[in-house]
Amino acid sequence: MVTATEGSYVPPPPGAELLRATSLSLRWRVSFDRAIGYLLPLLYLVALLPIAWIVYWVSVHALVTLNWSALTDTSPLDTHSLAVPIISTFYVMLLATVIAVVFGLFGGIATAEFLSERVAGWVRTSANLLAGTPSVVVGYFGYFAFVLYFGWGLNVISGSFTLAFFMLPYLFRTVDLAYTSVPRSIREAAYGQGSRPFQYLLRIATPIAFPQVLNGVFLAMAIGVGETAPLWLTLEQSALVPTGLFQPASFLTGQIFEDYTSGPGTPGIALAFEAAFILLVVVISLNIIVRIISARFRKRVEGLFQ
Amino acid sequence: MADAPTGTDSSPDRQPLPPTLSPATEPREPRAPAGRRAKKHLSTAVALVAALVPTAVVIGVVVSLVSASDFHNLGWAFFGSKWNSNTQTYGVAIFVVGSFLTAIPALVLSMLIGLGIAIASTSYLPRWITRIIDPCVDFLAGIPSIIYGLWGYLLLAPIFGTLISPWVVNHLGFIPGFSAPSYVYVGGVGLPLSIVVLTLMSLPITTLLIRDALRSVPRDLVESGLALGATRWETVRRISMRHGSRGIWSAAFLGFGRAFGETVAVAMVLGAATAYPTTVFSQTDTMAAFMFDNLDGALATPGELQALAELAILLLAITLVVNVVGRRFVSALYTQEVAGL
Repeated sequence: MVTATEGSYVPPPPGAELLRATSLSLRWRVSFDRAIGYLLPLLYLVALLPIAWIVYWVSVHALVTLNWSALTDTSPLDTHSLAVPIISTFYVMLLATVIAVVFGLFGGIATAEFLSERVAGWVRTSANLLAGTPSVVVGYFGYFAFVLYFGWGLNVISGSFTLAFFMLPYLFRTVDLAYTSVPRSIREAAYGQGSRPFQYLLRIATPIAFPQVLNGVFLAMAIGVGETAPLWLTLEQSALVPTGLFQPASFLTGQIFEDYTSGPGTPGIALAFEAAFILLVVVISLNIIVRIISARFRKRVEGLFQ
Repeated sequence: MADAPTGTDSSPDRQPLPPTLSPATEPREPRAPAGRRAKKHLSTAVALVAALVPTAVVIGVVVSLVSASDFHNLGWAFFGSKWNSNTQTYGVAIFVVGSFLTAIPALVLSMLIGLGIAIASTSYLPRWITRIIDPCVDFLAGIPSIIYGLWGYLLLAPIFGTLISPWVVNHLGFIPGFSAPSYVYVGGVGLPLSIVVLTLMSLPITTLLIRDALRSVPRDLVESGLALGATRWETVRRISMRHGSRGIWSAAFLGFGRAFGETVAVAMVLGAATAYPTTVFSQTDTMAAFMFDNLDGALATPGELQALAELAILLLAITLVVNVVGRRFVSALYTQEVAGL
């Protein structure tokens, strides 16, 4: 071993003296370790190349035909119009997000703050189960419950409720996590000063947890806007912007699914590519926002410990 | 805290508390006024109702599907392999087989790749590189499934149909199941394409969970392995993977749940053929994709909607069991990184 007096000693690269060893098995072990070290990082390409390929491919095909008038022209007769699905998607997402936020926010706060460990465990388990439910099953649930049983029909309100219940577990879990990760010392300080639960909740915990709650909203939106099955099964496609809750509406993912089989060069396939491009832009920006907020929140909560 | 008033004296022969300071003789706090007590009960009740929404939705899903189904009339033919709305025989065996035939190979591939990426990330690559590229891998989960389907159908399918499948038939055709007439594979859609797409779609989950599992191995264990003369690979193989085996198993189960329940992408790239696959290139159908494609037409024929509801129950049951088992393996699954899975 190097002692303190040998200040000028330069250590050899790891494993160098082992490679000079006479034992064949030792040389083999070290060489294998080095080879693995070069080979395994190549597997990153399997994940990273498709992402770059998909984004590049969709952008190239969409930007050929995408122009401002295609995005803004809401006339239903023009088949090459993306404005109708964009505006309709915005309405449906807005409604679904509001419903999911109402349920997710209250549910998450109640689970984090007011329920006993035992009941909270049950609620968390069921949120996990809901998150693991395939989207098509949620769509069937919406179809049987809202469309058939409540008799709402295939329209905006059925679709929004179904999508909201699909988004709910993600929102719920983030809110729950945001409030439970408020440091214990802060909570004890607040209660020690004599604050009541609601005072603690509104004045202490909410300001700390708010960015993460916002994060949950964006995360749920990113997951919801890219989902096809819940809306496809509960919402009828339409060439018009919906003017009421009980009207059919088109949406971006449904537009893609409707048009992806029309042959190359047709207006339909161009529309599908444009819709996919808009979808990618929305989802990527939402994901970036989520990541930034999440990092800042973590720093913030960690800072509270000091 | 009984000795708090007497200072920090903790010797065994300390003086007992003076009687005036004992809790029993302290004046009792007056009882809260009735209004506030009622408010407290009310807020607890409201909290309980609000919090039970996820549970209620899960129950609602099960109840609505069960009430829409019709076990009594369909009977055991449900597990047969003929789905024909003209004769009103609804058997789902083909779709169950198709689901497993696409999900299991995809899971195996994504576990192997995910394990490799996770090991490279935790043990071989420097931190500043993984800090940049690991979020990129996680971003695979953010791409909407319909875009995977679009990409698979329009871009990968021609490549599979004209390049990969003919090469495989020519060079590996001697293996049973690997030879097929060209009309089977020339379209490109079918089992291989679905498996590739599903592998990509379940890769972020498996990678993330395995990475978490390997990263949560105590540093002492890893360093004692290295100090005993093990190489990095031997440390990963014998210590990290063994210590994180629960997390790796949970990655397998949750990744399988994702691949098994995937709907739109599979509906686009599997070919939607109501038949058992006879070659590795065959087109078939999965439970989720079949349910997705056939709800529209089901209203016209008696019994088909009920049969589809039963298929939904079967799919739900399988994915729920897989999810419950997968989450059993890890207690710390409820973390920030995983909140979006």
